[in-house]
Amino acid sequence: MGRSGAGKTSMRSLIFANYSASDTRRLGATIDVEHSTVQFMGDLGLNIWDCGGQHKYLDNYLNEQKESIFGNVEVLIFVFDLETTNKDREYTLYDECLLNLAQYSRDAKVYCLVHKMDKILDSDQKAAMVETYKKALNKRSDMFQPGVYGTSIWDHTLYQAWSQIVYALVPNMATIKRHLSNFCRLTDAAEVVLFERATFLVVCCTSGDEDEPQLEKYMTISQGIKHYRNTCTEQTSPFRSVHIRTRAYSLFVEPFTKSTYILVITADPEIEPAVTKANIDAARSHFAKLAD
Amino acid sequence: MNGYGSSTHAGGSGTSIGMYGQGLGNTGLTTETGSDQGVAPHKDQLADRRVMFMGLPRSGKTSIIKVVLDNEQAYDTLGLLSTTQRTEHRMMPGITVYDFPGIDDYAESQYIVLNPDIYEGEHTSLVFVVDSQSDIQSAITALFSVMRTAQSVNPHIPINVFINKIDGLSEELKQDIQHDIQQRVLKNMSFENLNCDHMHFLLTTIYSESIKEAFSKVIQYLVPQHSSLEAIINSFCSKSSLDKVLLIDFSTKIYLATDSSPTYSPRYTFACKTIDVIDEISALCGSYVPVDEDDLPLQRINVALDGYEDIFIYQISPSLTLFCFGPPQIISQTSLLEFNGSKVAKAIRKLLPI
Repeated sequence: MGRSGAGKTSMRSLIFANYSASDTRRLGATIDVEHSTVQFMGDLGLNIWDCGGQHKYLDNYLNEQKESIFGNVEVLIFVFDLETTNKDREYTLYDECLLNLAQYSRDAKVYCLVHKMDKILDSDQKAAMVETYKKALNKRSDMFQPGVYGTSIWDHTLYQAWSQIVYALVPNMATIKRHLSNFCRLTDAAEVVLFERATFLVVCCTSGDEDEPQLEKYMTISQGIKHYRNTCTEQTSPFRSVHIRTRAYSLFVEPFTKSTYILVITADPEIEPAVTKANIDAARSHFAKLAD
Repeated sequence: MNGYGSSTHAGGSGTSIGMYGQGLGNTGLTTETGSDQGVAPHKDQLADRRVMFMGLPRSGKTSIIKVVLDNEQAYDTLGLLSTTQRTEHRMMPGITVYDFPGIDDYAESQYIVLNPDIYEGEHTSLVFVVDSQSDIQSAITALFSVMRTAQSVNPHIPINVFINKIDGLSEELKQDIQHDIQQRVLKNMSFENLNCDHMHFLLTTIYSESIKEAFSKVIQYLVPQHSSLEAIINSFCSKSSLDKVLLIDFSTKIYLATDSSPTYSPRYTFACKTIDVIDEISALCGSYVPVDEDDLPLQRINVALDGYEDIFIYQISPSLTLFCFGPPQIISQTSLLEFNGSKVAKAIRKLLPI
């Protein structure tokens, strides 16, 4: 949801349809509602409703079709356009959406993406802008605690926000996470990250030591690999795995279960790469039960 | 950029004008240079192994050098000012790249023509950049004046014509332009009895890897011990049953040597993109460990693809890597590849001043 031209379809194409950021320029306006179903993490089917942002459609959603649009919603993603000329209208629309959401699907989660953050160059200003949006939105949405993220299709922030959304969506995430950190401990790995196979979104990550996992690093890796995978496909030799060994660390990106890729980084040079690889292979069947 | 430096050749054009004044004693320009210099002009010292970039102004010489050697983004070179002085850029295995100012300024163009010394030497290569989008005829005229001078002192000098700025053109049009320029140049060369055995025509654009490929082809002439390198890589290829091995400079992605099988551009482009990704990932995961004198490689990378070949990358020095394409069953035998790789690395380290 969001006003016209906010970047909803661009966002969807980038994440789920392997578009590159510059490809989205050729997208036209979305007419009415575009439904798409994405298989995510095996059996989890995401029904994405990309709602056109033009006035006449919005009126429709909020009046005649409100039951079908707002019924059975799991997640509402509201896209704010940073460059909008009329902020109040955007907020009014948001309020109306939430009102309907409260009526038809009370348990839905709400995410607000402040989009086109690349228009602001300074990082302090960026943070300040997200903060203002956060305050304003928290005031407006009492019963839904929205997650507010600043995003841009030109860097990894969009992936970061979507990873958070996905994280909340996958039902047995806590179990997966527990098993993953177990695996991390057993293989003596420094960091283990699970990616979704089709979108390369970060699903889950753990690290051996108690440090905060470096989400940004994984985002950059995931985006790099996603991009590279497209290049490989152009060369008619689809990408399978990467394995980097240096004296300081060893890094694996391997296909894991049917729906995931795994990234394992070991920092101890004493660990033979073959051992790590064997461990990954051994863990595969176990995780197949959990994640597929 | 590790190991690369670029410095403006101090007083380069001043000295050159001085020489020019000596050559044409009575044109009146002597007074100008005399007042400027006041000292006896000495011979220009150019590096032994050198590539010289020449061409009309705004044909993209400096952009090419910036993109290839300094890893600048192609879009960032739009705002470059025109080069007024000869600048030099040092490249890895002792090769120097000279960027000459565009040939339209009277004095400078005379300098290029009237200083035959700069073309001397066995390891000298000339790159002439032609802008495919603008006046080709005047570019060819300039090329001929350079060529006549160059071949008078060094008949075997390789002359590489970069047909630049071909981005956005259709495949057909590119071929047409190349054919047109090639015909015009070669025909006129035979009229003038110039030696056209060492002419190369290459289509380039800074917006794709084509410029790096063209640059590689130029550089390969000048790499010390090139034939030995090729022999080593050939034997590595056949002994390890690899399809293709490139010796690539990691930071610029120029390949210094390869085995003697033909190099296809898509494959090279693919190699460049792979290196980009690997570079990005390894930059995130930790810095390089300083090198000490042993045979252990710094970085070994396997990229498995679901196609008919896999990739194995073996780093032999902080800047050089062996980039191997091979069938999947070979690449998975890492220990064999690593053993062979270490031998090759040792040999290459001995050959090249790293």
